[in-house]
Amino acid sequence: MTTTTTVALTGITKRYRGTTALEAVDLSFKPGVTGLLGPNGAGKTTLLRIVATVLAPDSGSVRLLGRSPATPEALADVRRRLGYLPQEMGFPRGFTGFGFVDYMAVLKEWTARAPRHDEVRRVLDLVDLGDVSTKRVRALSGGQRRRVALAQAMLGDPDLMLLDEPTTGVDPEQRVSLRQVLSRAGEHSTVLLSTHQTEDVAALCDRVVVLDQGHVRFDGAVVDLVATAAGRVWLADAPDPGARASWRTGTGKHRNVGLAAPPGAEPTVPTLEDAYLLLLGDRALTTEAAA
Amino acid sequence: MTTLADGAAPPTRMATLRPIAGLEARRYARHPLFLIGVAFLVIGSFTGGTAATGAPANPEQQVATILPAFFLGLLGVFVGHQLARSMAASTEAVEASPADGVIRTGALCLACLVPGAVALGWTACMSLVMALKAVPVSAAISSPDRGAMIAASVVYAVGGPLFGVLVGRWTRFPGAALVAALVLVAWTFLGTFGLLMPASRLGTLIHLNAPFTSWVSSDGPNAPLWLAGGSPWWYLSYIAALCGLAATAAMFHEAVGARRSRLSRVLAVLGVLAVASLLLAAAPDPTRLTL
Repeated sequence: MTTTTTVALTGITKRYRGTTALEAVDLSFKPGVTGLLGPNGAGKTTLLRIVATVLAPDSGSVRLLGRSPATPEALADVRRRLGYLPQEMGFPRGFTGFGFVDYMAVLKEWTARAPRHDEVRRVLDLVDLGDVSTKRVRALSGGQRRRVALAQAMLGDPDLMLLDEPTTGVDPEQRVSLRQVLSRAGEHSTVLLSTHQTEDVAALCDRVVVLDQGHVRFDGAVVDLVATAAGRVWLADAPDPGARASWRTGTGKHRNVGLAAPPGAEPTVPTLEDAYLLLLGDRALTTEAAA
Repeated sequence: MTTLADGAAPPTRMATLRPIAGLEARRYARHPLFLIGVAFLVIGSFTGGTAATGAPANPEQQVATILPAFFLGLLGVFVGHQLARSMAASTEAVEASPADGVIRTGALCLACLVPGAVALGWTACMSLVMALKAVPVSAAISSPDRGAMIAASVVYAVGGPLFGVLVGRWTRFPGAALVAALVLVAWTFLGTFGLLMPASRLGTLIHLNAPFTSWVSSDGPNAPLWLAGGSPWWYLSYIAALCGLAATAAMFHEAVGARRSRLSRVLAVLGVLAVASLLLAAAPDPTRLTL
């Protein structure tokens, strides 16, 4: 695997009518799967849109795949090598799954028909949609539509894959299947995965970046983030008023996440979600409740 | 790995444009409104054609231009608009592709040749039928002028959809296509005021500024028909320039940098051509010839 930096963001700031989405963010990414976590409005989608070249930052510099996408030629060159799954993606009326991905393949300069169709079939098979590819997209379930959208992002096995909540609406079996696909992609590509699903990040990502109010709050290995919650998660028969978050689990015990376990508490192994809750505190809890 | 084969040169703009235009042309050809328009055109050619051939005083070119103008051109405003807006739900994914907005809009404009091809075929069939039936034609209209009048039907069929694409690129509000169609109709009616005026160059100018025109009129229900003044060939050049303006203005919306400057110059040239063509169309002797 190459260790070349594929995405280099320096001092990226983006504001929307007075609201700061990103504030002087410095990040760089190499091949592998990186999870982007953060509450709603943290700046994850803005970050992905900037890297996807569909949104220009107000200030700061962006280098993608070794180039600055400043000229039309460089921009096209970068876009040839990236796949992007936006957070919200609708589909034009009348398209089948195959037809839509085929259309996107043409836009991605797969000009020869036979290899293009082979590639479209390949990516649809990757997301387990080979058997329903001739169905109209509007007749597919929400999870299937999301997979059609994901398939177009995987066309040509891009060097840079930007996936904004790829598993939304996808059933557990399919999520596991998609994790396998994305983890294989991460062996040679840079995959940035924005999600609210901490279990996807824990299962898939080598690295996690936590954004909050436009700032990077954590950037490191998933295990390192999880380690920050060691000794701060415990089980008890009742909710602990001192805990930052507490909920009754299926075993009848209450899982408490707080700054420190009280004496005599039954500590348990923390998860990424626990660490995330502790890192972001009340803001994360508000977002979790809203979600 | 990338979307292109390793070491392969990126395709030229033309090489990218061709398959996108092909896809858009197929989408156009399958659009329900277009198919309805074609069906009505065929039905209308039997009813209207019979009327024309049965009444020698009613020149055949009237039917030959009104039907494609209405069923392919006016309905085409809606088709062109819908095609231009259809990918709006997938905008971000589309924008992240190397095929930029100018190429995609150019492909849409090329797809508008589909109704033009139908109008051309239909006009050829009608001309053949009339020739075989030896339908009498007025000696007041020269053969070249008759050719220009009939050829205008192809331009009408292309112009409506191009106008729809233009409106689709520049506006987002629902009902924009309806407003655009009403504007075309109103503009056409405006032109008829020129026919109500006494024969003059100003009257001819007002008459011929409309995007659709009727060359034959009369002073009352039972009054003899007369042929309006003006040059059909320069009028053809005028409406063709309007088509070029619509296509270029639609592409201009997506253009940036040097391409925007180039398209500005093309717009200026086409604007001058349109004005010059209109003035030349109204320049000949405005005397009306009784048919």
